[in-house]
Amino acid sequence: MYKEIRVFAENKPGKLSSVAETLGKAGIDILALEIADEGQFGVLKILTAEPERAKTALEEAGMTVAFNNVAVIEIPDRPGGLLQLAKALERSGINVTDAYGCILERGKRAVFVVKGEQISAIESAAGEAGLHVLEKLE
Amino acid sequence: MTDIADLIGSRFEWISKDELMNWQSEALQRTVAQAAKSRWYAAKFREIGLDPTSIKSIEDIARLPFTTKDDLRQSYPEGMLTIDREDVIRVHTSSGTTGTPTAILHSKADIDCWAELMARCLAMSGATKADVFQNMSGYGMFTGGLGLHYGAERLGMMVLPAGPGNTTRQIKLIRDFRVTCIHATPSYAMHVAERMLSEGDDPKSLGIKRAFLGAEPYTEEMRQKLQELYGFKVFNSYGLSEMNGPGVAFECPEQNGMHVWEDAYLVEIVDPDTLEPVEEGHVGELVMTTLRREAMPLIRYRTRDLTCIIPGECPCGRKHRRLARMMGRSDDMLIVRGVNVFPSQIEEVIMRHKWIGGNYVIRLTKAEALDQMTVQVELARSEFDGSVETLRNLRTQLQKELREQVGFNVGVEVLEPGSIPASEGKAKRVVDERT
Repeated sequence: MYKEIRVFAENKPGKLSSVAETLGKAGIDILALEIADEGQFGVLKILTAEPERAKTALEEAGMTVAFNNVAVIEIPDRPGGLLQLAKALERSGINVTDAYGCILERGKRAVFVVKGEQISAIESAAGEAGLHVLEKLE
Repeated sequence: MTDIADLIGSRFEWISKDELMNWQSEALQRTVAQAAKSRWYAAKFREIGLDPTSIKSIEDIARLPFTTKDDLRQSYPEGMLTIDREDVIRVHTSSGTTGTPTAILHSKADIDCWAELMARCLAMSGATKADVFQNMSGYGMFTGGLGLHYGAERLGMMVLPAGPGNTTRQIKLIRDFRVTCIHATPSYAMHVAERMLSEGDDPKSLGIKRAFLGAEPYTEEMRQKLQELYGFKVFNSYGLSEMNGPGVAFECPEQNGMHVWEDAYLVEIVDPDTLEPVEEGHVGELVMTTLRREAMPLIRYRTRDLTCIIPGECPCGRKHRRLARMMGRSDDMLIVRGVNVFPSQIEEVIMRHKWIGGNYVIRLTKAEALDQMTVQVELARSEFDGSVETLRNLRTQLQKELREQVGFNVGVEVLEPGSIPASEGKAKRVVDERT
């Protein structure tokens, strides 16, 4: 289980800049970022190696932040790298509805980030298939 | 066959100043005696030690107590009723749905009088039984619909009770039945014109001769624009449900102020702070006493509308004095799409939601000539769970409750915590960008 950062954001120019600036000043690398848009407002979803520090930094900058639990599964960064995990999820009958991926090291390691209620089921399926379930991102 | 002059109270319409004063003094005595039959006024008169029979003329008005909207709430539903309830034939309650509403109860004579006053307004505009009238106002508890309807029928017009909205059908009905007079809010009349123009149609082609506009404040410039667009003459109307509804004051063809029917309403303009009368021609709060109401007379009712009496006599020859356009309110009531909305009604809904903070702003704007209300709220920091779905559902629920509260769609914007300045004393909660 891992913690993704969620930031409430009014939909207006400059919001992304202030998030980038805050994390940049704190020396925190953004591994992945997604925006869930609801028109007038939205939620930024941020994956970093230092969720606790990122949350504190953003809160100190006056932002509204929450953690969200995700499963982070390491997969090889090469063509077909997702297949082993995908097959494992298929065998366990898990239907993934909300997920994204990102590269940790080009040509070597990537991660598949899954959200929702099936986190523990996904982690077990990945573990049984011999894949690493990450508690840390380095 | 009854003469139309009787049906529309022509004897009152053209009454002389002396006759009017005498009538008012007699009517005030009757009104006070009638009011004393209600639980509310009986207790009120006792409380201030007033003998109702000591009221002999309109000069005695200053000895009578004021009546406020809050008094109407406290006496709701029947505390001010003066007649057997089986003789009541109509009830109108306030459009606001918050807390305790206010109610006005009418006898048969009251409804007859209301129709007469309203018909007199329409006749004053030059309308006759030969006219065809489309009523685009809401029916039901809102007095604008039924008020104009009864008046137009009394005059003998062909009436189309179209109600509000459905612009395409409104335009079709106007054409099919060769409508010559309409009743609408100014903003809806503008909306219809803009719709027609955007479709390459000319509002003048409808052939409407007169428009009776009211229920919301608007500018003289907008009247001129509407008159140019449609080629009709606009008559301003003033009314409030406590004084029946429409039919209280109306413009004559001079279009310079609204004659208030002084045989039915005793008018005072007072300083809203001192409650002392202001000099004629000065702006103050309009205070009205019903002079012809039976079931539920109201004495010195504080309308909260700010206006003035236009000095001098109208060239039309009617002696009933003229009210200027309403210039605002002495309380914080907003008029949105013709609906009365108090910020406290919005606040009441907001306070039920703990996912938002206590600070809010009500923004009023116009889109396609129609009033839009947007409520800006702040997300409460501690309630954020990171889910956009949660926020979407909460906002939808808030919108639904606001709609139930005020009766029209209200936009909701969720802002970052701390982005609305905290309230200190009189917070600027309302931003009106409609003009």
